[in-house]
Amino acid sequence: MKHKSRSEKAGYLFILPWFLGLLLFTIGPMIFSLILSFSKWDIITGIGSIEFVGLDNFVNIFKDELFYTSLKVTFIFALVSVPLYQIISLLVAMMLNMRTKGMNFFRLIFFMPSVIPAVAVSMMWIMILNPEYGILNKALSLVGIEGPAWLQDPKYALSALIVMGIWGIGNTIIIYLSGLQGVPEELYEAAQLDGAGIVRRFFSVTIPMISPTIFFNLIMGIIGGFQYFTQAFVMTNGGPLNSTLFYNLFLYNKAFKTYEMGYASALSWILFAIILIFTLIVIRTSSAWVYYNGDDDKD
Amino acid sequence: MNIQTSLKKNIAKLVALVILIGGSLIVLVPLLWTVSTSLKTPGEVFGDNFFPEVWKWSNYSDAVNAIPFFTFLKNTLIVLVPVLIGTVFSSALCAYGFARFKFKGKRWLFLVLLATMMLPGQVTMIPMFIMFKEVGWVDTFWPLIIPSFFGGGAFNIFLIRQFMRGIPRDLDEAAFMDGANRWQIFMKVMLPLSKPPLVAVGIFTFMGVWNDFQGPLIYLNSTEKYTLALGLSMFKGLYNIEWNMLMAATILIMLPVLIVFFVAQKYFIEGISISSAMKG
Repeated sequence: MKHKSRSEKAGYLFILPWFLGLLLFTIGPMIFSLILSFSKWDIITGIGSIEFVGLDNFVNIFKDELFYTSLKVTFIFALVSVPLYQIISLLVAMMLNMRTKGMNFFRLIFFMPSVIPAVAVSMMWIMILNPEYGILNKALSLVGIEGPAWLQDPKYALSALIVMGIWGIGNTIIIYLSGLQGVPEELYEAAQLDGAGIVRRFFSVTIPMISPTIFFNLIMGIIGGFQYFTQAFVMTNGGPLNSTLFYNLFLYNKAFKTYEMGYASALSWILFAIILIFTLIVIRTSSAWVYYNGDDDKD
Repeated sequence: MNIQTSLKKNIAKLVALVILIGGSLIVLVPLLWTVSTSLKTPGEVFGDNFFPEVWKWSNYSDAVNAIPFFTFLKNTLIVLVPVLIGTVFSSALCAYGFARFKFKGKRWLFLVLLATMMLPGQVTMIPMFIMFKEVGWVDTFWPLIIPSFFGGGAFNIFLIRQFMRGIPRDLDEAAFMDGANRWQIFMKVMLPLSKPPLVAVGIFTFMGVWNDFQGPLIYLNSTEKYTLALGLSMFKGLYNIEWNMLMAATILIMLPVLIVFFVAQKYFIEGISISSAMKG
């Protein structure tokens, strides 16, 4: 290349905004956060009063009952909602994958809730889940079931959020649908010729072929559980009796309600570690089930 | 195909269709009920009727006045417009740098870019808040706007870069031969050709800002600075709740995103599919 040196300089200039952002808004804050996680500091007194406390924050976190409560809430949510949403999404996606007229219409309907702002969804569902005049309990009473007080009952609040989540799984459905559309028709035909029925084709063709999508959605679901915030903040604010105290809400409370910046920073690194572990699992196992078509980056 | 299998197939299709219609009702009924609640009188809200007897459209004007809706809308737009410009333009700029130039450490920098996508926002949330507090920007819109001008997000850069790599190099070479410099090639060749990913990034950014709750919650303290998403949630706490008005305000907040969704559905659905394919 003739213009190599000039081109090289220009390249740096073009990515400069990102690079500055990386230093200012990612690496810098990460270092600061790391320091904070080993320090004690309420933000009200100046930066000069940051006090190094070693591992105290982590020790305190692992002694904090609320930390375990928040982990439990988040993991229960993830362990129940993730498989539940995956199965429903996959089944709906398979139906949407049929070659019949009107599928675009259904696709649009199912996807719609996932574009609605979380705050608006929360407001809607506070109303829907209202024990006396909410439509859910009214519908249940039609079939003779007396619905619980949902958000006001510590036994049901988390379940209510899980049920509400089903309403917004359009995202996952679309991801499965695109996975299904990538499965070559010949595979189904070959399996059919070999005498495989619908169930057999599902387990021997569909599931293996979309396994990357399944795994992607699983991991995203778990990460999503750890980032869950708006609905819990708006609808229950962690209550009743901390039954919906999601990890992210716990972290927010520590940072912006009681201003324990060091403690909250330590919590954020634990969150990062948990997410990292799950991500590493994907990467480590991905070679077994993700097909790479050898994107050779020649330049 | 014999009659039996085709019959079986049709029955399966029918069952699937019934389930899909049922599912659509599950999606639509809560929405319809929210709309109908927003048009009821306070008394009717507690009643058993699905639809109001008289559609009380004045709930909407009452709601708009009760919460300073237009102030919140204005605030949302004050954040949205610059963030849209900053994100689309700066992510395109960086994407071009990664797509078309050779420079030392590029591969490594690109790996760093990919790695930052895995970093949860909570890690940088606290130090960034402290940083913005130190420069006196808490309770201003700056913390919500400024970061978008610095690369516009790793995922967006990645999305546009992938697309730009697919644009034939002959096009920039030709412009180069005609005497265009790198900047002109970027502005006159690459940007116009990259319209599909730029539109997708624009739509996702619009959605992100419109729906953002935690950002405004952390940075905006005074009511007159609230964005719509934050304002709506505070309305629930600050006033004696009148459900019909609350639902009217909820509908008003949904409406713009739903309109954008129906107009640009193709980009939404493609964008979701692309993002899963790339991360997976």
